[in-house]
Amino acid sequence: MSDPYNSAKERMSVLPPSLKFKGELSADEDLLIQGTIEGTIHHTQRVTICEEGKVKANIGAQIVKIEGSVEGDVHAERSVFVAESGNLRGNIKAPSVCLVDGSVFNGNVEMDAKQRA
Amino acid sequence: MRNLGFDQRHDSPDATAIRPAVPVTPAVRPPTTPSPAPTAATKPVAVLGPTLRFKGELSADEDFILQGHLEGSIHHTQSVTIGTEGGVLGNIHARVVTVDGSVEGDLHGSESVVVHASGRVVGNIFAPRVGIVEGAFFSGRIEMPERPAAQVRPSSYAKAPALGVALSAEETARMLGAKP
Repeated sequence: MSDPYNSAKERMSVLPPSLKFKGELSADEDLLIQGTIEGTIHHTQRVTICEEGKVKANIGAQIVKIEGSVEGDVHAERSVFVAESGNLRGNIKAPSVCLVDGSVFNGNVEMDAKQRA
Repeated sequence: MRNLGFDQRHDSPDATAIRPAVPVTPAVRPPTTPSPAPTAATKPVAVLGPTLRFKGELSADEDFILQGHLEGSIHHTQSVTIGTEGGVLGNIHARVVTVDGSVEGDLHGSESVVVHASGRVVGNIFAPRVGIVEGAFFSGRIEMPERPAAQVRPSSYAKAPALGVALSAEETARMLGAKP
């Protein structure tokens, strides 16, 4: 499905590098995190944690892409992608997971076969 | 399908940044000079989209436009714009605060606070310079500290002649009065 990717370009919020946020964050659009987030992220679309991004939070979203560092559980409805520069300390729960060679990951991966349908 | 290039341009933050047509800096004066708007548009401004919901404390050093909703406080060292779709329930601390949306809470601007016509503020404003455009809703108290105003004015007013804007007699007198 390419639709979510296309709509991604239409609506995207960028949290700039100097941004620091503590608390609960939720959104219904794509999110590019370059700043520092502490707390929880509830999200229904794509979340990308950029290389500069630092997240200490549980993340819930459709698709999560990690290029920066994340401490917390990642729960994706569709997929989790940890890039080479990514650093994840926490558990992953998603029907599809991709860990690129070179990325750092400490935690459990849980793929629920039922969700895949 | 729509053209991708068109979509990107349509959604670029610049488009949103231009929206506040009323000049930001000379808020107290009538809007005769639309010059400050382009300078703001040339810088990339982060836009926090309309579906975003924050609950907690937000701090940043970069200009941004908040189109989403925030429950909590903002601590900012530069300028914050609450967009037309934006809403804040809490206090805002920044150098320059511009309100196009709605705010329930206190606005602390170390330089200035501007409420545009589409803006709605319930709370108090603390800033050396305050502008409330006709049509805006404001309910609360305004406090303009005397001291910081005298410190801030020379630097911000020094930009005005460079932009080719003539100072009014009243401003000239004020500037000369502010200098020892």
